[in-house]
Amino acid sequence: MIIETREFTRVEGNGKAEVVIEDDEVKDVRLKIIEGPRFFELLTLGRHYRDVPDLEARICAICYLAHSVASVIGIERAFGVEVPEEVSLLRELGLIGEFLESHSLHLYLLVAPDLFGYPDAIRMASRHGELVREGLAIKAFGNRLRVLVGGREIHGINVKPGGFGRYPTVEELERIERESEALLRLAKRSVRLFARLQPYGARAGHFVATDGYLWGERLISDEGGKFHYTERIEERSPVYSFAKQSHYMGETFLVGALPRLLLKSSMLTPTARRLFEEHGEKLETGYVSYNNLAQAIELVYSIERAKEIARRLLDRGIEGENVPVEPREGEGIGYVEAPRGVLIHHYRMDASGNVTYSNIITPTALNHAMIEASLLTEARGLYGETDEGEMVKRLEETVRAFDPCISCSVHLVNL
Amino acid sequence: MMEKLKLGVFELTDCGGCALNMLFLYERLFDLLEFYEIEEFHMATSLDGGTHYDVALVTGTVSTRRDLNLLKDVRNRSDYLIALGTCATHGSVQASVEMPIREKLKAVYGDGGNPMGALDSKPVVEYVAVDFALPGCPYDKEEVYQALIDIAKGVEPVRKDYPVCLECKLNEYECVLVKKGLPCLGPITYGGCNAVCLRSGLGCIGCRGPLPGEVNPAGEYEVLKSLGYDEEYILRKFKTFSRWEP
Ligand code: SF4
Ligand code: SF4
Repeated sequence: MIIETREFTRVEGNGKAEVVIEDDEVKDVRLKIIEGPRFFELLTLGRHYRDVPDLEARICAICYLAHSVASVIGIERAFGVEVPEEVSLLRELGLIGEFLESHSLHLYLLVAPDLFGYPDAIRMASRHGELVREGLAIKAFGNRLRVLVGGREIHGINVKPGGFGRYPTVEELERIERESEALLRLAKRSVRLFARLQPYGARAGHFVATDGYLWGERLISDEGGKFHYTERIEERSPVYSFAKQSHYMGETFLVGALPRLLLKSSMLTPTARRLFEEHGEKLETGYVSYNNLAQAIELVYSIERAKEIARRLLDRGIEGENVPVEPREGEGIGYVEAPRGVLIHHYRMDASGNVTYSNIITPTALNHAMIEASLLTEARGLYGETDEGEMVKRLEETVRAFDPCISCSVHLVNL
Repeated sequence: MMEKLKLGVFELTDCGGCALNMLFLYERLFDLLEFYEIEEFHMATSLDGGTHYDVALVTGTVSTRRDLNLLKDVRNRSDYLIALGTCATHGSVQASVEMPIREKLKAVYGDGGNPMGALDSKPVVEYVAVDFALPGCPYDKEEVYQALIDIAKGVEPVRKDYPVCLECKLNEYECVLVKKGLPCLGPITYGGCNAVCLRSGLGCIGCRGPLPGEVNPAGEYEVLKSLGYDEEYILRKFKTFSRWEP
């Protein structure tokens, strides 16, 4: 017998799950990504490097900037280009905006209705209007950072190899500093709210993140050492899904807010680190539902860090000079932390700066096997204990804890 | 109080941006809810959906059999259907990959055939008649707001009929085509975004699709050619968002 869930709601993209029952036991769970394939690697093949980041941005709306930045870093590494501190800080500011926009969307609009028993945030707003508005305020601030750095709320084209089309002004940076001050209190409140979540889902075999907080030269894991994705991560294509599955040395692993906190807590800002320590015991258990709590702590981190960056840029002054980019034959990988976890853009370039090879691995594709494992654990615990409707609902909540981005996950290639 | 119109938001294969952009209306979304009841919107609500929609917004391309069935079903159950965003109106980026679906699948997933019913990506307008087409990757959220308010008031929403270039001039941005020699598609692209990318001093990449009518793509081609861009580069740029034209 197969129990099929309806298509998941309050997640990005189209997917569902099948629970396979044999002899009255849960034998297997299949996560079916039914969103159509979009073939991004083929799209960028042969294209000139200057156009690539804008195309890659279209992989995902919620984290378009992470795609632009990963793409830009991959391209710069292939050409051996180094950017100055100012450019790095601004990229970081944009990515922070994306964390704020994405995490607050997920926590306040998609997860909070589960906590309070509503089908959506709009209906929840009648009783918990203040909470919804607080979430929207954080989200709007995140989007302002995305506009400032990326050029638009969605799919801006301001992030380029070597720098930006337009640089922010002193007034714009001062405004960010002021606004972040005011929002910190709201973010701290969200940590208390999401600390109420119960443990569910499976515990990951391993955790993986980039070696810097928001991007890196290599990946790191709970086993120590720095590595390239090709050394420890292996991909497979299941026949029932448009997304591939990945394993870390043959075992399941998790990327995202929880692994970031567990592997990189020393890089957090002061208040975020205090909150991490306060909730450390829970987080260390590694249950995926605590990914939501980790995201709430990252809201605090992001707001504090936005303030630090704005101040640093104001103190040193904005020069607004782009670094010259000279194409040459080469290969480069951009590792970035998208809100949902590690994002990899890997390119090879020819001498005139056209893409000859591209491989993109998104956080949801990396987490795919882990989502399935969590569904299996949950289904085993629930089957026979609750009715089918309740089980399906809980499975949907389990998927939601990963904050999956299904649209992103459906295009991987090895050419 | 008047009865609210029933609204459905449906996502086919896409990046999620056109659905997400609705949520970026923030407080204005609550203003829309004075006129509309959201019956279905996967990204935002777990409600199961209705049987009939006064207005349906459809985003994305038809890229699987599931997408096609959903689209036809929505068309049958709605009075007013809006193809929302460049995916739905022109196919956007995924439709510009010009290989047959079998080859694309093979290149990406290996020799597994096509068990899940993938189709070549095409815009919504290729398959069903739509009542209004609102391009943009993503569309400008003010435009969708205005269109929904118009419909609620019984007024037919208006389509823009001028290029991005005009909005760039009105904003008094420097012309990047003439001054910097950047490849800018502003002269031949549907206006309505307020020339937002020109604000960053970057050329328009044509994300709102080509403006039909008087515009002159041949002239644009010649200009880019004289700036030193090669033919293949220019053609790919033209087709990136609009391999399919409505
Ligand atoms: S038109 Fe652009 S923003 Fe809208 S869904 Fe398609 S790719 Fe995303
Ligand atoms: S300026 Fe061009 S690329 Fe930018 S939003 Fe407008 S139509 Fe799209």
